Amino acid sequence: MSLISLENIVKNYKTMRALDGIDLTIQPGVTGLLGPNGAGKSTLIKLLLGLVKLTTGSGTILGQPLGSHGRQVRNMVGYMPEDDCYIAGMSGVEVVRFAACLSGFPKLEALRRAHEILDFCGMKQERYRVIDTYSTGMRQKIKFASAIVHDPEFLILDEPTSGLDPEEREALLSRIRMLWTEFGKSVLISTHILPDVQSICDEVVILSQGKIRLCESLEKLSQTESPSFSLRVTGNEADFLDRMKDHGFVSRSSATGDLVFESDDPKLATTIWQTAAESGTHIHSMMPARNSLEEIFMANIQEAANANS
Amino acid sequence: MPIHEVGYRAWKQERTSQLYRCWVICETGIRLAAKSPWVRRILFVAWLPVMYWGAGFFFLEKAIESESGSLYSIIDPEEVASDGAIPGLEEQFQNGRQSAGRMAIRSALRERFALFPHAQDLAKSLESGDPEVIRNDTWRWLLMVFFRYPQSLLILFLIGSIAPSLISRDLRTRAFLLYFSRPIGKLEYLLGKLGIPASFIIAVSTLPALALYLFAIMMSPSLSVFWSTWDIPLRILGATVAVVLPMSAISLMLSSLTHESRFANFSWFAVWALGHGAWLSILLVASEMMGKSPFHPDVLASNQVQSWSVLSLYNCLGDVQEFIFGFESFEDVWRGTLVLACITLFSFWILYRRVSAPVSI
Repeated sequence: MSLISLENIVKNYKTMRALDGIDLTIQPGVTGLLGPNGAGKSTLIKLLLGLVKLTTGSGTILGQPLGSHGRQVRNMVGYMPEDDCYIAGMSGVEVVRFAACLSGFPKLEALRRAHEILDFCGMKQERYRVIDTYSTGMRQKIKFASAIVHDPEFLILDEPTSGLDPEEREALLSRIRMLWTEFGKSVLISTHILPDVQSICDEVVILSQGKIRLCESLEKLSQTESPSFSLRVTGNEADFLDRMKDHGFVSRSSATGDLVFESDDPKLATTIWQTAAESGTHIHSMMPARNSLEEIFMANIQEAANANS
Repeated sequence: MPIHEVGYRAWKQERTSQLYRCWVICETGIRLAAKSPWVRRILFVAWLPVMYWGAGFFFLEKAIESESGSLYSIIDPEEVASDGAIPGLEEQFQNGRQSAGRMAIRSALRERFALFPHAQDLAKSLESGDPEVIRNDTWRWLLMVFFRYPQSLLILFLIGSIAPSLISRDLRTRAFLLYFSRPIGKLEYLLGKLGIPASFIIAVSTLPALALYLFAIMMSPSLSVFWSTWDIPLRILGATVAVVLPMSAISLMLSSLTHESRFANFSWFAVWALGHGAWLSILLVASEMMGKSPFHPDVLASNQVQSWSVLSLYNCLGDVQEFIFGFESFEDVWRGTLVLACITLFSFWILYRRVSAPVSI
């Protein structure tokens, strides 16, 4: 059964159309929701949570019809908002406990679970400090802990890694991944940080100007149209490229500066090694080339802009 | 790794009811508000008038008790009168029944408490009637004055310190996302928030009033006094509702209109002070025109002062309280009640719209 299924969803705010005929099916797993600012990501999330009403269209989330069962949906969903949201004057553990109580946990169980989840999130003694004094990264952790404290089936995370240092970012991404792989929690991540999506997502949805531009598995998207290799070389690169050209293989540069050779010819790999040896070029790395998410994202946004103009 | 770390744990047990979640919001708000030293000070001060009123109930009961235990209550007046031996004895006896205690209450009402509403009427009613009726009348009057003067003013300050930040702080820190991303509806959020000022109002008015009532019962000669005063606890609860609804609605409405609680705070006091100030000005003009002191009963009862009384929310609230405690008929207070009801409903409407606004954008 699909996690989310939307059919022709339209959402208007007075004269502005925020979502324009969205048809989308998301399977269980970790899904990245990408889109430029104003694409309609927040509106889509609010619709999924039952916080705003549909203008037209229908759909289901976790088997519940969209729009009429908001409370049941929010019982099963954990939401981590992008905005800094906290209750001033409370300590970190009190905020998480309060979130658990609001989700229907008895007080004692809520407190116990708040501590467990804060341990899981790597929050130490600072949990007893008043939240007003927290850094952005600490608040992110509290928001994440509040989102998962009630053991939801599905998590919606809005910019979960913003404000985190690289180490914390890695740790949070691995926790998110673990929630899916070990506990079967599906996750929808709305973010601008494409490497985050690339590192943990199974599926990608690109939303632009209120329309779904792409919904595909990351594995499929990463595959190039024809077999290809991505190379990093040092030494006589120009000679190497000339010789490769003579063999009929033309390269292009990837977004990361690597050389990419695309060809259906099964001799491509052998030719690369032979040519490098002949030209005295050292190959530092050679791996099957993959499409960059950045390129895919930019291409889709550009396409949307062109279609609009 | 901490020894109690168990990683992520699934949870499959029953969830609590929606009503419990309202209570969670309310209880958390109460706990946060009670952290303020000013709120704790006001709470302390709010219980001080109870001692004064407690002394009032004590002396009142002593007066009524001494009267019922006096010589005049032992002798049967009909028996004495039937003898006809001493002309005028029956009349003297009836006068004598009004013991020194009752005279003292009457003179206190006429002299010391003359400015309080219905003190003169109450003093007049003491001239006749049995102790049960006197007890009911005086207890009701004492509690009405308790609600109307010390507690109303203290509630104004207490709510002014608590309520302005209740919603404005959630708007400022975007805490509404924490509430509404959970299975909490707007009504539950509002009920939870309304419960916070309501709890404080109950703590400084209803509980002390009920405590005073119990104290008065204990001071009375017999527990059977309850049967002649059973309506008083109900009146206390009615007066509580009359205070809680408008005060909570107005204060939360003001709080929902701004991100800055100090603006809501200022508006709260302005709403009460400006209305009452305008009415006081009219009262002064009327007293000048009549050549009497501003709080003279004739000035207060004048048409001009009465018809503009609705300008003051404090007066409207007082009217409703007087009606609830049985000192005014509905015909006399309908205007104040209507104004209060309209303002309360309008405040609830604005409040609901404002609470809906952050999530609908």
